[in-house]
Formats: sequence, C-alpha cells, structure tokens
Amino acid sequence: MSLLTLSNVSVRYGRLTAVRGVSFSLAEGEVLFITGPNGAGKSSLLRAIAGVTPPAGGRIDFEGHDITGRAPEDIARLGLSMVPEGRDVFGGLTIEENLLVGTGMHAAERGWRARAASELEAVYATFPILKDRRHAQAGLLSGGQQQMLVIGRALMTNPRLVAIDEPSLGLAPNITDQVYERLIALRAERKLTLLIVEQSSTRAMLVGGRMMLMRGGEILLDGDARALGQSEAMQAAYFGYGEH
Amino acid sequence: MRQSPALRSLSTPILLSLLLVCFALAAVFAGSRPFNQTIIDIFLQVIFVVGLYTFVGNSGVISFGHIAFACLGGYVAAWTTIKPMLKGGAMPGLPDWLMQTEIPYWASALVAALWAALWAGIFGSVLMRLSGIAASIATFAMLAMVNSIYSNWESVTSATSSVVGIPIVRVIWPYLIAAIIAVFVAWAYSISRHGLALRAARDEPTAAAASGIDIPRARLIAFVLSGGIMGAGGALYAHSIGIVTPDTFYLGLTFTTLSMLVVGGMSTLSGAVLGVLILSTLIQVLRWLEAGVQIGTSTFALPGGVQEIALGAVMIVILMFRPTGIMGNKELNLPMAGSEKAGRQGPEPQTTNKE
Repeated sequence: MSLLTLSNVSVRYGRLTAVRGVSFSLAEGEVLFITGPNGAGKSSLLRAIAGVTPPAGGRIDFEGHDITGRAPEDIARLGLSMVPEGRDVFGGLTIEENLLVGTGMHAAERGWRARAASELEAVYATFPILKDRRHAQAGLLSGGQQQMLVIGRALMTNPRLVAIDEPSLGLAPNITDQVYERLIALRAERKLTLLIVEQSSTRAMLVGGRMMLMRGGEILLDGDARALGQSEAMQAAYFGYGEH
Repeated sequence: MRQSPALRSLSTPILLSLLLVCFALAAVFAGSRPFNQTIIDIFLQVIFVVGLYTFVGNSGVISFGHIAFACLGGYVAAWTTIKPMLKGGAMPGLPDWLMQTEIPYWASALVAALWAALWAGIFGSVLMRLSGIAASIATFAMLAMVNSIYSNWESVTSATSSVVGIPIVRVIWPYLIAAIIAVFVAWAYSISRHGLALRAARDEPTAAAASGIDIPRARLIAFVLSGGIMGAGGALYAHSIGIVTPDTFYLGLTFTTLSMLVVGGMSTLSGAVLGVLILSTLIQVLRWLEAGVQIGTSTFALPGGVQEIALGAVMIVILMFRPTGIMGNKELNLPMAGSEKAGRQGPEPQTTNKE
C-alpha cells in the first residue's frame, strides 16, 4: 500500500519553475533516494511535500489524506516529518530543549513535558550521544552530532515517514557513515519510511533501496539504487550527455 | 528524572538570590545610611535589568524602550500613594476616585505592574511583528512617546516638574524581596513552554516557525511580562527617592540598564543579575576612590570625573575579551554529575561545501 503519492506536483518561485509535474508513489517501509545535480529541484520537491513551500500545482496524498498546501505543523502531526538542509539546530538551547521544541508543544496543554518524556527516551535510545550531552548547548555540538540532533527532533512527533535533505552536507565521510548507520537502524526499529535527498548517488548505492534521478525539475530515472548507479544511463542523465 | 531539567536549572535563581541576600546583609552590617541607599539602588537596578532580560534575552530583539514601562509604573506610585491633599495641588486633573486613593507602597507596585503590563500588551501587539533593528527603533519611539506625553500632560503628571510627596521606603527588605521575585519570575518564564518557544525562535526563526511556533505571539507574552516587571520596578524606584519626573525614566536609565545587561551577558539570567552587581560594585569603589582613601597618614584620591571614564574603559575591556558578556551563554549553576560530561568522540572535521 502506498504511504505517499504525488500526482503531477509542480513548484514555482515567481516565474522560475523548480519542479515540473512530478508523480511517484512511495510504499510503506521503502527507502527512496532522490539524487541529482545542483538546481535539479530536489530540495524544492521535499519542501513541497513537507508543506514548507506550497506546491503550485498537483496533489500530494499521505496515508489517504490530501496534504497539498497544508501547514508544515499539520503535516508533521499526521506523521510526516522533515529534516531541513543545513542542520538548523536552536544553538542557544540545550539538546533536550531542542528535542522538546520538536514535539510541537505549542499545541500541547498542561503536562506537555510528561507527554514528551516517553518520546524523549525513545530518541535517546537511538542516539545515546544526545542523552550523554542532554544539557549541553546545541550550538557547541559537532556537525555530526547536530545532524543526529535534527533527526532526533524530527522523530519527536513519532512520524511514519521522515524526509531528510542532504544529511551528508558538510560532514566528513566517516561521520556521514555514522549518521547513515543510525538511519538504517531507525528504519528497522520504527518501521520508518525514508525519503532522502542527496546530491551524489554514491551513498544510495552503498545503502541500497530505490533511487530516482532528478534533473531540471523532472524525474528522469527511477529504479533500484545499485542497478541504476552502475548504469550508463545514470551518468548520461546526471551530466546531461547527448543533449546538445 | 522527568523533572530534572527544571529542577536542575532551579539552582540558578537560588544562587542569584543568595548573592542578593549577601549584598543586603552587607548593608545591614555596614549600618550606614548612604551605603544602605546604594544597596537599594542596586536592587532596583536588578529589577530593571532582569525585566529587560525577560524580553531581550529570550527574544534576541534589543529593546530601547523598556524604561517607558518603568515611567508608567513610577507615576502609578505617585497617583496612588501621595496624600490626597498634596495630590490636588500638583496634579489637579486626576479623576476624583484616584484623587482620594491612598494605598500602601507594595500595593502601588502591584498596580504599577498591571498598568505597565496592560500598555506593554497594547504597544506590543503592534511592535512584535517587527524584527531586528526595526523593532529596536520602534521601541525607542515608544519610549520617546511616553516621555513626551508625561512631560506635557500637566494636569495629571505635573509636566516636567518633580512630583513630590511619594512615601519613602528606606528599609532594604522590600527591595530585596522584589528583586528576588523578579529573578524567579524571569527564571520560571524562560523554562516554561512559552519561554522555550521564544528562545527557539531567537536561534532559528525559520525552523521555529516550521515547528509551529507563532513568533509574534511568543514575543508578546515576554513583552507583557517584562513590561510588568519594569512597571513594578518603576513604582519601587519612586518609593526609594520620593519624587518622580519624566526624565528620571528616560535616556540615562535606559542606557545604564542596557549596558549592564550587555556587559553581564544578554542571553542569560545570571548575566543580567551579575552585570548589575559587578558594574554597581565597580561604580561604588570608584566613588570611594574619588572621595579619598586614607592610606597611612596620606590621603589618596582620584581626580573628580575619573569614575565615568574608568567605568567606560572597564566596559570596553570586558566586551573586548568577552563579546557576549561576562557570563556568555552560561547560567550560574551548581556543578552536577552528568551535566556536561564530555561526549565527544574526537574531533570531527567539518567542511562547508554547500549545494
């Protein structure tokens, strides 16, 4: 059964069209990598799905709800969390406070701390490093730890699908390995569906799963990550050989 | 275990209060009238700086206008505590019921807090949509508006002349208690969910909005609360000297309050309180040196006016070495097990290649 379905979704910024009529569906438990060069529209697509940038056209369904153009916090409450690019931790808050903000406690009434406590323990179980430094200021964490923190923050709403924008951005390769290790473990533990945007296909080939290649706002290829990654078609599409 | 973050941070207001109690005891043991007054001034300044911190520290928006709320509070003290006979002469335009009102000083401080909070709510619902320097300038405009209204509305404020006859409270304890209450209120707010939301919005407005935080509303709550603290402080200030004029609560007090907050460390409660205590102590020491110190048989005295210059120089030096203030981003805390255990796994090289 498909968890997320996009039909003919497009995203525009003024006159610029970033995503042109993209359609695909994502089954529960799947890992989908969206790769592609700079300016392919990957991040725009992700932002449209999470509701940060409302789509200019098309329709997005999540678990049978039409979520097209709904507010990000509503979409998060339905179980679709997004981890934005660039690890935007709340630097002046402690790790624990960062996670608490992730619960969307604005909507919670009295006793939100107690309700958040069980989610907190679950996130700490996944990322023990966060528990060790729970009272440390988030701004003092290393890049890898900050990435784990924003993933942890996205988990605080107990989502079924997590959409992550470039988790490897600005991280050393061995740190990226650690982040992915946790992601893969999470997927098994929580039966999570993952939607990951990465610029390069290397990571997708290592992890496996499904891969789509975007370029110029369109999806050019869609298939098994390992098979696609080694194909000639992939390179040709990525770099746009043979179009001129 | 669940309550641990709140309990853990409880040590901060307790330590700060103990520090204030130490200052109060010093005044009691010294037993001199002028020194007593100095300590009272320090406690009042603590209330102002903590009030300002409640908004500025949590929201990251600098306000130049908070002393306006102290002004509103100071005049509430004048309206509600001066003997009706005296009031009629200085402020003939007051409504009859207010003219006949005469309440104790602590009640006037409470009414002042409510009155200032009301106006903070009115101004704030317009101002809190602004961010950055625009917000700061708008708060300054608010200060100028309040000042010119109070300087010209002769029948209820006696214009620029001093309003005298406010009952003077010379004992130190009410001021100490008020300062401690301000510290605890500010602490409770900043760990509440409203405070948490506002601090998140201060650090990353976009991510905070995406987490569903209504930023103008979060700011408004802090603005009203801090306006209330300033109002109470203004009323107590009036009771400490017995007179008010609009210029008591204008640029001079605004800049003293802001600089103490900046030197102490804008984003923490400890910074707010320590900024006052350290700078006030420094001012006092310089005053003594100006007055002259007996060393052996000779008297050593600094030339007059050195106090202001030295104070400025010290502030520059502090900010040179600690640009985020004395406390930086740290709260005063009891060292507790497991709080800041190093969890680092060696250096993690970071490159910054962005898409």
